[in-house]
Amino acid sequence: MAEQLLSGINVVECGNMVSAAYAGKLLADFGAEVVKVEAPSGDISRQRGPFPGDTPHAEKSGLFLYLNANKQGVTLDLRESKGQAVLQSLCAQADILLHNYSPREMPGVGLDYEKLSQINPGLIMTSISYFGQTGPHSDYHGYDLTASNAGGWAFISPGASDYPDLPPLKAFGHQTDFQGGVHAGVATLGAYYHKCLTGEGQHLDVSVQECIAAILEMNFMHYTYSGLETSRLGRRSIYPWCMLDCKDGKLFVVCVEEDQWQRFVELMGNPEWATLEIFEDRVVRGQNYDALVPFLQEFAAEWTVAELYKAGQERRICMAPVNTMADLLNSEHLKAREFFTEISHQVAGSLQYPGAPFKVEDVGYSVRRPAPRLGEHNNEVYARIGLSQAEIDELKQGGII
Amino acid sequence: MARRPLEGIRVTDFTWAWAGPYCTLQMAHMGAEVTRIESEKRPCVTRLIPPFADNEPGPNRAGYFNQYSQGKKSLQLDLARPEATEIVKKLIAKSDIVVQNFSTGAIDRMGFGYDTLKQLKPDIIMISICGYGQTGPERKYMGYGPASVPLAGISSLTGYPGVGPAEIGISYGDPNAGIFGSFAAMAALAYRHRTGKGIHVDLALWEALLVLMPEGIMDYVMNQTQPERDGNRDRWMAPHGCFKCKGDAEKWVTIVCGSDAEWLALCQAIGQPELAADKRFTDAAARKANEDALEELITAWTSERDRWEVTEVLQKAGVAAYPSQSNKDLATNPHLEERGYLVQKEHPEFGKRIHAGIPWQMSGSPCEVQAAAPQRGQHTDYVLQEILGYSGDEVQKLRDGQVLT
Repeated sequence: MAEQLLSGINVVECGNMVSAAYAGKLLADFGAEVVKVEAPSGDISRQRGPFPGDTPHAEKSGLFLYLNANKQGVTLDLRESKGQAVLQSLCAQADILLHNYSPREMPGVGLDYEKLSQINPGLIMTSISYFGQTGPHSDYHGYDLTASNAGGWAFISPGASDYPDLPPLKAFGHQTDFQGGVHAGVATLGAYYHKCLTGEGQHLDVSVQECIAAILEMNFMHYTYSGLETSRLGRRSIYPWCMLDCKDGKLFVVCVEEDQWQRFVELMGNPEWATLEIFEDRVVRGQNYDALVPFLQEFAAEWTVAELYKAGQERRICMAPVNTMADLLNSEHLKAREFFTEISHQVAGSLQYPGAPFKVEDVGYSVRRPAPRLGEHNNEVYARIGLSQAEIDELKQGGII
Repeated sequence: MARRPLEGIRVTDFTWAWAGPYCTLQMAHMGAEVTRIESEKRPCVTRLIPPFADNEPGPNRAGYFNQYSQGKKSLQLDLARPEATEIVKKLIAKSDIVVQNFSTGAIDRMGFGYDTLKQLKPDIIMISICGYGQTGPERKYMGYGPASVPLAGISSLTGYPGVGPAEIGISYGDPNAGIFGSFAAMAALAYRHRTGKGIHVDLALWEALLVLMPEGIMDYVMNQTQPERDGNRDRWMAPHGCFKCKGDAEKWVTIVCGSDAEWLALCQAIGQPELAADKRFTDAAARKANEDALEELITAWTSERDRWEVTEVLQKAGVAAYPSQSNKDLATNPHLEERGYLVQKEHPEFGKRIHAGIPWQMSGSPCEVQAAAPQRGQHTDYVLQEILGYSGDEVQKLRDGQVLT
C-alpha cells in the first residue's frame, strides 16, 4: 500500500454523528488505520441524510458515507461490560482513541482514561464534547446549533442583517461539529508528536464551544479591547462588502484596500458618482453604504455572474459567485484540481464525494475503501485483536456485536 | 516541568491577515517557537484596524493582531534588503516549518519558494495557504475569507427562509484554512519523524470549506437538488431553533430536541405535560410538520423567562439549551473562566486584556499561552543573537543600516 503522511498510526473511534467521525476521517484520509466502533443499531448519522430520493436507508446516508470512507467498521455495545472489555482490547493496540461521548455519558460506555492508560500507557485518548470535561456546564447537552450559539458565532451571524426580529443564525450543516473535529485532529497529532519523542500517551479535552469562541475574527476583542458589543445587526465597517444581483444570479464583492476599489471604479467606467465625497474611502463608503449599493447594483444588473466575476478578478478585485451545489460540481477550476473524488460503495453505488482538504505530492489524501457497512469488519478486526471465532460468535449471539 | 508537545519545534511565519496567523497560532499554543517576519513598510493589516486597546490606535494595540499572535515572536526586517533576505534564510535553515499565505506565486518572487527552502533545509515542512490553491485556472484569483463563504456554496444554503442567501458573520474561510494548515503541519511532523522527509502543502480556502459541506454536496450528487434555506431549522429534529427571551432585543436562547424522549422531557420541564399527548407533536415527523405552531408555543414560554433560567430548567431535564452568547457574554462566562479559557497576559503598552485561549487541554503535555502577542520587532535582537548567533556589534550595524525596519 502506498505510503501516506499518517501510515502506520492505529486509531479507534467511537461516538456518533460528526465531530469524532470527522477527526477520524482526517486521520484515515491521510493514511492512518481507523477502526470505527458503532453501536449495534449504528451511528446516528446513518439515519440522517441526505438520502437518494429522500428515503432513509442505513447504508445510503450521504453524511455517513462521506464521514466514514477509508475506515474499517465494527459494531460493539459499549453499554455492556463485555463490550467495554472488547474496547479495551482494541485500545491496547491503538495509538489514538477518538470519541465524542459527553462527560456525562463516558462512564456508562467504558471511556475511563485511567483504566485505559493502565492497559496502554502510550494511548492518546481525545475526548471531544460541546462544553469540555470540566467546569459548571460540562454536563450540559448540546447539538451543533447549541454550540453555534454557545461559542458566540450565531450571535454575529448573518452580519449586517436588516431583520432585527429574526434570531441569531447558524451556518448551514454541522460547522461547529466539524470545527471540533479539525481542532481535535490538530491537538491529537500534536500529542502524537509528543508520543513519538517520549512514548507517553495522555488524555485530551477538546471543547467545541471553545473552538468556536476562538474563531470570531475580531469580535471577541471588540468587547475586551474597547467595550463594544457586536451583533448580527448594523452594517459592515468598510464597503463594498455585499452581494449584488447580476442578470442570472448573485455575485459577492469585497474591496478591502483602496487600490482594489479604484480598479472597481475603473471597471464601472469611472462614473461621476464615484468621485462624490461620501464615497471617498472605505470607511466613509461604509457609513454611506445605503447610497452606494444602488449604484453598484445598477452596474451589476447588466452583467452575468460569470462575466463580471471574470472581469473583476482579472483586475484583481475580490469577487465570488454565490455558488449553488450544481455550480461547484461543474467548476472548471475544481475539475482541474481533481477536487471531487468518485467512491464506489457496495450498497450506495458510485458517487462523487468532496475530496482532499489540501494537496500534498505523492503522500497526501487518497481513497482506499468506501465507508463500512454496519459491522462489515467485525470478523477481520476482532480476529486481529486475538478473539477466536468461537468468542466472536458468542459476542454476536449475546447482541454485543 | 512537563514538556509541551511541540517544544523544540521552530516555525518561520511569513503569514498575514487571518488564515495564516490562525495556522501558526496553534503551533505557538503547543509550545513551538513561532517567529513572525514583519516590517514597518508592509505592516500586517490586522495591526491597523480596530479594535484598539482603549480605542487608541497603534500597531501594538490592535485586538485582531494580538488575539491571533499570542505567544509568537516578532522579527522586524526590510525584506527589500539583501542582508534581510540572508537573515531569513538563516532562520529557515534552523526551522522545522514555514507557513505563508501570500497570493499564488508571491513567495517564489520573494525568493522563498519551496525549492529554495529545501536547499536551505532538506526536510523543511512548507504550508502554503491561498484562496484558490497553487494550481488550476483560477489560481491567481483573489480569495479573501468572506468571499470564500459564497464561493463554497455556504451562502446558497444558509439564510432565513424567503430572505435570500446569507453571509455567516465571520470570514469563515480564513480560520478554517488556518486550522487545516495546522493539521497538515502536524501530520507532516509525524511523517518526517518516520521517514526523515519534508513536504509542501497546497491549501486553498475554497476546498478546505467544501470538505465541510457534505450534506449539501451529497444531496446534489444523489438527487440533483439542494436543501432549501431554512434558518435555524433542521431536516430531522424539532424543535431546533433560537427563541426570544425576557429582556432586551438581544436576549435569545437556543433549544434543540434531538429525540422524542428529549421532547417529552421538555414538555414536563416547561410545566405543560399535556403537550406530550398532543398529536401535532408526538414524533419528529409530526413536530416538523407543525413546526410553526411548535415554535410559537415555545416562544410563549421562553419570552416570559430569563435566558439563563430557561437554560438551567431545560438542561436539568436533559434538553439542549444555551443562551446565544455575545462577545461580552463570552468574556464574562463563568464556565469558560473556570476552565481557564480566558487568557490575560501582561502587555507592555496597555496591561492585560482578555483573549480567547486554547480550545483543548492536554493532561500529559500541558499547553499554555506563553505570552501576549509581540510588539512589532520585539524579538529582533533575540532572534539574531540567540538563534542565529549574530554579535551585538553585528546587530547594531544592521540596525544602523536600516535593515531592521
